[in-house]
Amino acid sequence: MALYRIGRKLLATGAITSIALLTACSGGDTQETTAPAACAPAASGEKVTLTFSSWVPGMQKTVDLWNKQNPDIQVQYKEVVAGQRGTYQTYANQIKAGNAGDLGMVEFDSMPSFRLQDGLANIGACPGVQEGVKAFVPWTVSQVGFGEAGALYGVPQDIGPLALYYRKDLFEQNGIAVPKTWDEFYTAAKQVKAKGATITNFPPDASSYLAALAWQNGAKWFDNKNGTWTVSMTDDKTEQVAEYWQRMIDEKLVDSVPALTDTQFKALDTSREWSVVGAAWTAKLLENGSPATSGKWAVAPLPQWQAGQQASGNWGGSTTVVFKNSKHPAEAAKFALWAFGNLDALALNNANGGQFPATTAGESELPALNEPYPYFGGQVIWKTFQEAAPQVNQSWQWGPTMTQTFADLSDGLSAAVNGKGTVLDALTEAQKKTITTMKSQALQVAE
Amino acid sequence: MATMQAVRTGSAAGARRRRVSKRHQRRAILVFLGPFLTLFAVFYLVPIVYSVYQSLLKVERVGAFGAPREIFGGLAQYQQVFASEDFWASISRVLLFFCVSIPVQLGLALVFALLLDSAVPKWRRFFRLTFFAPYAVPGVIAALTWGFLYVPSLSPFPAVAENANLLGSGLVMFSIANVVNWVYTGYNMLIIYSALQAIPGELTEAARVDGAGQFRIAWSIKIPLVVPALILTGVFSIIGTLQLFNEPTVFRLFSNAVASNYTPNMIVYATSNIPNYHLAAAYSVVLALATCVLSFLFLKITQRRAFG
Repeated sequence: MALYRIGRKLLATGAITSIALLTACSGGDTQETTAPAACAPAASGEKVTLTFSSWVPGMQKTVDLWNKQNPDIQVQYKEVVAGQRGTYQTYANQIKAGNAGDLGMVEFDSMPSFRLQDGLANIGACPGVQEGVKAFVPWTVSQVGFGEAGALYGVPQDIGPLALYYRKDLFEQNGIAVPKTWDEFYTAAKQVKAKGATITNFPPDASSYLAALAWQNGAKWFDNKNGTWTVSMTDDKTEQVAEYWQRMIDEKLVDSVPALTDTQFKALDTSREWSVVGAAWTAKLLENGSPATSGKWAVAPLPQWQAGQQASGNWGGSTTVVFKNSKHPAEAAKFALWAFGNLDALALNNANGGQFPATTAGESELPALNEPYPYFGGQVIWKTFQEAAPQVNQSWQWGPTMTQTFADLSDGLSAAVNGKGTVLDALTEAQKKTITTMKSQALQVAE
Repeated sequence: MATMQAVRTGSAAGARRRRVSKRHQRRAILVFLGPFLTLFAVFYLVPIVYSVYQSLLKVERVGAFGAPREIFGGLAQYQQVFASEDFWASISRVLLFFCVSIPVQLGLALVFALLLDSAVPKWRRFFRLTFFAPYAVPGVIAALTWGFLYVPSLSPFPAVAENANLLGSGLVMFSIANVVNWVYTGYNMLIIYSALQAIPGELTEAARVDGAGQFRIAWSIKIPLVVPALILTGVFSIIGTLQLFNEPTVFRLFSNAVASNYTPNMIVYATSNIPNYHLAAAYSVVLALATCVLSFLFLKITQRRAFG
């Protein structure tokens, strides 16, 4: 019995101990930010070994190809769990302890947080980088450079431009036109409801989904000028999006279950939900999650706020960063540019990991992205995403404490779909808590 | 005794073997305690001291992405803890949880223990094991299993799950309490049961001779005598409830009524994820102190009542 008790007691202090232990090796961080350091490659003939962690399935195969072609720069690959599931916490602790390795996968929205911890190397000055990034879709480059001239804190990996997945058969049978605008989408939602189904899901857990929809409408939640941050999660553009989905919730035109989990897939597979606003990476999930509806789907461009507009948002997507303490930033940058820019590498990433490339050439030239997709009735669905990719608004910025912002926003959205408060309330509250968190991180926030 | 002897003879070699002086005894004690004390210090004391230290720091930086610099911040983090509505809301939530869950849990544990104590001896061992078995199931697994029973589209009893909305904001606390009770009732039962076993046979026998039935014996003799054990389980339950983490975290997979700041420990976790280690450390320290104070108060009050 005594053992159990001790076990329980130890668990009790676990929260304290784990935090303390993991940070125990660090001293006070006293480094100041410096201008992009010069980035010299290792002397020729010297053998360099890099470490790289990511959670893309099958990334090992891409690394193997690189290692075969580059005997002097060997990459040790480590597969880790998805960022928000623990890897970001590991990175943060490693950064504090000064042993974060060379390369790591970080989603776009989490990059600012790691930069804030002074964990990322600016590889803008590394040889070949400025030319190399020209191959990437422009908005992704401005994301990894934080809009600073000549700066680059990572290499884009993959992106998630939005489009509309819909049940072609059901829309056609019921004479519902494929919505080109959000107004038409609302009308379609009512028609679908009249048939006893719902048009789509509004997932309260996926804050990044709401962010993507606001992004499409030209919202800009975060900005920084002269060292001061502004948070505008309730600007006019976002408010329009929030009120739109609030109306959908109020009129019971949408489901509100966690995004792309068993519950939603069951609704899709039993034809209770007729469309999904999704990113490029959603295709594979649909195919696996809703097998009974194979061949009945199609993809259309994302509905627009004004007829004739061409704007998309981005949901998900990630980058490869070089950590600040890497001894070989030049080689690390070289590898990252190859792994997510070279067509052979991109083909592997797409085949094994389902990644939609962040380079224009990758999107248009990969054979796999030009093939008809049987699940979608033989449509070449990637064309739609290729067109959407450059339509993503370039000025969007992520905040420095997105883990907290997303958690608070999803708490508020969960309350909203339960009838306690509204989508706009959730945004207002998340903004308030974000400002508090940023201040507690000693950041200047304009109000 | 035998092992003491063996070690004593083993540690003092040669001629001095029989002259067991006080100094040697002290050394033996150190040898025995050494491993424990080392581990206790490294994994218990040092982390506590370190987190208190961390909680007294704060970060300073210049600019939108200025590098962080840790400086002494005094009680700045604690100010934030005490100003945090979420934290205190989560504390009152777990206290409410305590009121919802613990009376049922301890009541059931007591009833089971009394039944075991009075049942036919043949079945005793079987029931003791059966009641205790859920405690062997890891908390996360238990929460997942119950969660699947609660979700309407996955539950084998969809009629119940659909009509009761067990994961809605109204009932989710009871649903979680049910999981916790399922796991811990057997554990508490064992503690009470061992206290019952320690009651001298003469007492119950005397009562029986005086004409008391089983129920009367349980009410007037056994329960008053196991009050200390009940208090002990009560204190454990206070500690356990304040540190509730696994079950509500798992329930976030099923229910959108469980927010990321549902319990104090979840707030600590979320804060360290930001990562804001200093504030997370301050939360932890305050939570630990609150646990101490509440357990102590509970002991004081119940002891006065039980023994005063």
